[in-house]
Amino acid sequence: MLRYTVTRLISLSLSLIAASIIIFFVIEIVPGDPAAFMLGLNAQPDTVAALQRELGLDVGPVERYFRWIFGILQGDFGVSYTYRTPVSELIADRLWVSLPLAIYALTLSTLIAIPTGVIAAALRGRPTDTAIMGVTQLGIAVPNFWLAMLLVLLFSITLRWFSAGGFPGWEEGLWEGLRALTLPAIALALPQASILARVMRSALLDTLSEDFVRTARAKGLSRAQALRRHALRNAMIPVLTIMGLQFSFLLAGAVIVENVFFLPGVARLVFQGITQRDLIVVESVVLILVFAVIVVAFLVDLAYAWVDPRLRHQQ
Amino acid sequence: MLNVTDLDLSINGLPILRRVGFDIGEGEVFGLIGESGSGKTMTAYGIMGLTPVGTERGGSVLLDGDNLLQHSEQEMCAVRGRKIGMVFQEPMTALNPLKTIGDQVAETALVHGATDRSEARELARDTLERVGLPSARFPLERYPHELSGGQRQRVVIAMAIALRPRLLIADEPTTALDVTTQAQIIQLLRKLVREDGMALMLITHDLGVVADVADHIAIMKDGEVVEAGEAMTVFRTMTHPYTQRLFEASGHVPARGERGADTTTQLLEVRDVVRDYPLPRTTLFGERRHFRAVDGVSLKIGRGETVGLVGESGCGKSTLTRAILGLDRIQGGSILLDGDVIDAEQEITAGARRKMQVVFQDPYGSFNPRHKVERLVAEPFHLLEERPDRDERRARVETALTNVGLSPADADKYIHEFSGGQRQRVAIARALIIEPELIILDEAVSALDVSIRAQILDLLADLTTRLGISYLFIAHDLSVVRAITDRVLVMQDGRIVEEGDTDIIFSSPQHPYTQTLLAATPSVDRALARRLGTGGPVDGA
Repeated sequence: MLRYTVTRLISLSLSLIAASIIIFFVIEIVPGDPAAFMLGLNAQPDTVAALQRELGLDVGPVERYFRWIFGILQGDFGVSYTYRTPVSELIADRLWVSLPLAIYALTLSTLIAIPTGVIAAALRGRPTDTAIMGVTQLGIAVPNFWLAMLLVLLFSITLRWFSAGGFPGWEEGLWEGLRALTLPAIALALPQASILARVMRSALLDTLSEDFVRTARAKGLSRAQALRRHALRNAMIPVLTIMGLQFSFLLAGAVIVENVFFLPGVARLVFQGITQRDLIVVESVVLILVFAVIVVAFLVDLAYAWVDPRLRHQQ
Repeated sequence: MLNVTDLDLSINGLPILRRVGFDIGEGEVFGLIGESGSGKTMTAYGIMGLTPVGTERGGSVLLDGDNLLQHSEQEMCAVRGRKIGMVFQEPMTALNPLKTIGDQVAETALVHGATDRSEARELARDTLERVGLPSARFPLERYPHELSGGQRQRVVIAMAIALRPRLLIADEPTTALDVTTQAQIIQLLRKLVREDGMALMLITHDLGVVADVADHIAIMKDGEVVEAGEAMTVFRTMTHPYTQRLFEASGHVPARGERGADTTTQLLEVRDVVRDYPLPRTTLFGERRHFRAVDGVSLKIGRGETVGLVGESGCGKSTLTRAILGLDRIQGGSILLDGDVIDAEQEITAGARRKMQVVFQDPYGSFNPRHKVERLVAEPFHLLEERPDRDERRARVETALTNVGLSPADADKYIHEFSGGQRQRVAIARALIIEPELIILDEAVSALDVSIRAQILDLLADLTTRLGISYLFIAHDLSVVRAITDRVLVMQDGRIVEEGDTDIIFSSPQHPYTQTLLAATPSVDRALARRLGTGGPVDGA
């Protein structure tokens, strides 16, 4: 197990280094000079040059890369070109919204999907299964921003249970914060839950037809016992894979839902950064998202090993 | 003790079993024999109540006078594992990979509420010890993937007998195992029957196994019992024509004509071949270690000659096959096919490839299910310099199909429309179509029923006689190798330990490993001679 963890950690660090290089140079070759953009069309060349010096854009890309990385290692992400505030503060503020939102949505999605998938598999071919398959099909087809608007229409405008958007900040208390994130989390979770439930169902159906489930039945276990004790854990590997992918998506891909609910999240920060040529913000946020994705992948790998002894003993 | 009377079984209206009946007495070994699709496994599931959805059962299954067919599902759960245990064919997949062997054996006791947790653990330890897995060497914390096939089958047996059931149903328990392991498992089952006074229902297609151990037997065909009775009586009299056919087929020796094997000119010459597999590094910068799968093997095959290569799983025979086919690099030695060097590192000419073809064990897995048989069989044509046009291609496919006993019209079918034996014929037709000089048969008949196997062996023998094709016949089943080969090589741990004319090797094996293999191979004749000689079931344990 230790060996497995160490090899995973090494591959995690290598991925991070590779990702930082790719992110930096891909964004560097995007056309558009931030200094020229900030000063507008009528700027004098020497003013632009001065600003470039101030922003640290006057040196070569390799040197800039190393400055950037060493800065990050010391917790200094640089200063945003447009906001003129440290990028680390910007990102930290936004992560306090995006990270809880992603965890909230993933928790909801898992709590809905796993029981639903298990019920569908246990009642395969019965009306309940057919109904679940129909609803989840619909859940996948419905875009989450549209679902978000429907939720706002129903719960904010008609029932007035939740506010239609915005985020009061965690200073207002845990309950107020969660309340503001509930509708966005549901809008994000339902399509994800539909996918996850279908994955759970098909993985479980596959394991239910395995020989060892038959062996368990021959020992005297009932269908339900065999499902619970033998099939369920074996079906978790594909479910964990999808959960890992979904978490990454929820963290980075929530831009439309964040816009619908007017949430100050990371995805909106990137979006604004791109439109304003605030390259240093874009680079930093993308790096942090990549970091999150890689860490999640690492956690998923550890979860695999926890589920499956064959991976633990792998040499 | 178990009386099965007029057991009818149908799945979604399709009749599977018709009026199946037999009795099993206390402590008796009952052999249920039949080919695939005869309904023998479904009979076992019918008794256990583990039938698929949509199954209707009729008749009666009395266990100590208690009709199991009238039990509710809940009552059956109490019977399964406690009064009737069951062991399955495929030990590699019969165990839950995520649970320790100790937990899985203990679960049998726990699920029946027979013991508490610590007692269940003790029971698991004792039971694993009884099946030959003492906890000193096989701790309860082991996972299935840490055990070999034979050891896993012992764990499955331990789960089935933990609560000392009245009856143990073993469905092809040794089919997936090597002959020496098979002999050990059979011996274990007999020991348990004797110790516990448990009855054993042994389901198998292998007459040799049954002839050795069964007190009573029944022979099934198409969902019906065609013949049943005391084992020795049935073996002696064989009143039903199907029984006779089955016996003939199992010991079938194909009539091989005047082959005129030309052993003076060598077709294939394998010299001192070495094949290493790199092992994963144990330390980050340490020397990479290797596993030598094939260790200095030499063999020759003359034109028109059939050479057998036997050995147990993991001995390196499949690795050697891949090297001969030029699929894997070799780390030493040389392979010459009719003067052409076969070396995976260099390009192997189409001319050389054309001279050899291969037929694998699983005929279904080696075909693309989306192509028609015509296209599948015509595949090797790409090795020819002048490819035949459409009409000629069709004509040659039809000839090849006819040669293997299929009809020309089969060219328009898809592979799923054929039975296992027919698929193997299609595979042979595909190998034959460009008239190779050597066909490598890698366990090509192992998965087939005896009667189909007999047909395929006849076909192979006929093709050598007519076309002078040579074969390298790789198998773990010694009786088949004996029936069809001129010479045989015995492989163990990557080396050839003995080789010679088939007759001589089989009549007087020199190497201890060959002797072990031969002794472990079930043989109807040998079993009968032994049992008739002593007038009853012999205890080999």
